[in-house]
Amino acid sequence: MNLYASKDDLIRWLDSLLKEHIVIAPVEIQGQTMFQPISKAESCQLSAISNTVLSPKGWFLPPTETLFSVKRDDGHVELVPTQVEQDAVLFGLHPCDARGIALMDKPFLQEPSDALYRERRSRTALIGLACRQAQPECFCTSMGSAPDDSSNVDIMLTEVEDGYIVQAITDKGKTLLPKGLKEYKGKVPAPPKLQTIPTKEVVSAIKGLFNDPYWEKLADRCLHCNICAYVCPTCYCFDIRDYADKEKIERVRSWESCQSRGFSLTAGGYDPRATKGERLRQRFCHKLLYFPEEFEDVACVGCGRCVRDCPVNIDIREVINSLKQVTEAKSGS
Amino acid sequence: MDKELTQQIRDKARSLLEEGVVEGVIGYERASDGVTSRPFFVYDPSDTERLIFDETCAHNLVKYLMDKKGKKMAVVVKPCDSRAINLERDKVFIIGVGCPGMVETNWSHKSETWQAKCRSCQLFKPVVYDFLVGEEIERQAEEETYSDIAEAEAKSVGTRREFWLEQFGRCIRCYACRQVCPGCYCPVCFAERLDPLWVGIRIAPEENDMWQTVRSFHLAGRCIGCNECERVCPVDIPMSLLNRKLEKDVKELFNFQAGLDPEEPPPFATFKKEEIMEFEK
Repeated sequence: MNLYASKDDLIRWLDSLLKEHIVIAPVEIQGQTMFQPISKAESCQLSAISNTVLSPKGWFLPPTETLFSVKRDDGHVELVPTQVEQDAVLFGLHPCDARGIALMDKPFLQEPSDALYRERRSRTALIGLACRQAQPECFCTSMGSAPDDSSNVDIMLTEVEDGYIVQAITDKGKTLLPKGLKEYKGKVPAPPKLQTIPTKEVVSAIKGLFNDPYWEKLADRCLHCNICAYVCPTCYCFDIRDYADKEKIERVRSWESCQSRGFSLTAGGYDPRATKGERLRQRFCHKLLYFPEEFEDVACVGCGRCVRDCPVNIDIREVINSLKQVTEAKSGS
Repeated sequence: MDKELTQQIRDKARSLLEEGVVEGVIGYERASDGVTSRPFFVYDPSDTERLIFDETCAHNLVKYLMDKKGKKMAVVVKPCDSRAINLERDKVFIIGVGCPGMVETNWSHKSETWQAKCRSCQLFKPVVYDFLVGEEIERQAEEETYSDIAEAEAKSVGTRREFWLEQFGRCIRCYACRQVCPGCYCPVCFAERLDPLWVGIRIAPEENDMWQTVRSFHLAGRCIGCNECERVCPVDIPMSLLNRKLEKDVKELFNFQAGLDPEEPPPFATFKKEEIMEFEK
């Protein structure tokens, strides 16, 4: 059943959620929208059409976290794993970001699962917000999602005049629904139409393009920064390092990316992906070939963040279109 | 004006490639948003028709010359970018552009406002070039007063520290600032050295602080003010405040501005015997 919540109802609901949960919602910081834990309902900004600067993946895989620490005291050694303390609600997720979390689940929840990710994931409810407008960089419908896709959230919100349609999608969602909402009998607004790109064709052809000169050419303008990987809702590579002093040892995990020079460098100095083209190819092959081979889906949700934020306009939609052309040219010759 | 500059750049690029003077030309083409521009590498004379030049061509292309070491390349260079050219001149053909000023751009948007660096830029022609287009370009420049720096300097150490920790707190260590910087050419960046370990892998204020501070101080006297670091930062850290503070200090202490005279080494890359004496006194 579709329920209706006015904007005031929504504020009251957020306030009640805040009593027992950490609520992570889009907030505005110096002109940018970011997912952050909020302390009062009014901080939540649901009106931004653009996706947040960083995707909400950081709630489950933080930019940096201590996996465990070791305390040393007079010859006695104690291992202290990091605990997830509180239930959380991720509020106002666009469908692309919710799908991003569903894709992150595949590597992190397959056995042996990642303990901290699993804990955070099972204790977090996802409340989605349908997109009523699309940005020029959006292409979720070409990546298995849609602006009104509710399949990866516990509760779905759709903005209508003066309020929101509220739908509980899962049992977890039902338990979180605010009480006293009336039924919504109006029409559910149609989602915006989006551009399409030939993802499927390229996924089935990309294996044959591994040694194509296209990659080095594309990499000419690539700066090999980590922006695309860090803003991406599905890039999940990390580095691990131990920090130690006299009292304490900590094992720390931080985001890392296949675009950085040190990522594939091995002891002795050999780098299997030494050239710019090889590193850039890894990014696209992981998304369009290796991830689908292992987990069926393409590791891209069409949120458009990498398109929007790349300083030199390496546009994955253009890459996919170009790869299709390269394939056609090859099969035609 | 843009059309004229674009045509002259295309013509020159085509003749350089056709005559075999260079292997490739690094210039600009329209980005996929249809509004802004992006770096463009041309190897085939027929692709020169994709080259453009307008008020969105902000990227400093000099950085790419490091990737193309050993190849003879031509590069389109604005006056500010030209200050970064610090290499074997005979390996590079510089297509200099008299610059009308660049506007603020974001993906699929361009504003009417000039970038801050352009408002006070006194350099209308590149400091070095082999071929110049747009020689006649002149524009009104404001005087660089460093008023924002003076304002920041007047604040207490505690206030400044708080401000910067908040700014650096947003840093995600994507290193776009380093990757785009024409002055960042260390074969292994201090941030990636393990022995000695200067800075760890934590993406957190206490380590971001070390990264950002050393990054800017390592460029003291070498930063040419192209402000590419700030332009590409995905979380809008105001790096120009730090960079221009250092620029101002180097100007006052050494009467030096980086890259204006290609023959003169930066103050921290040279020393005179007298200076040691003075220091010991």
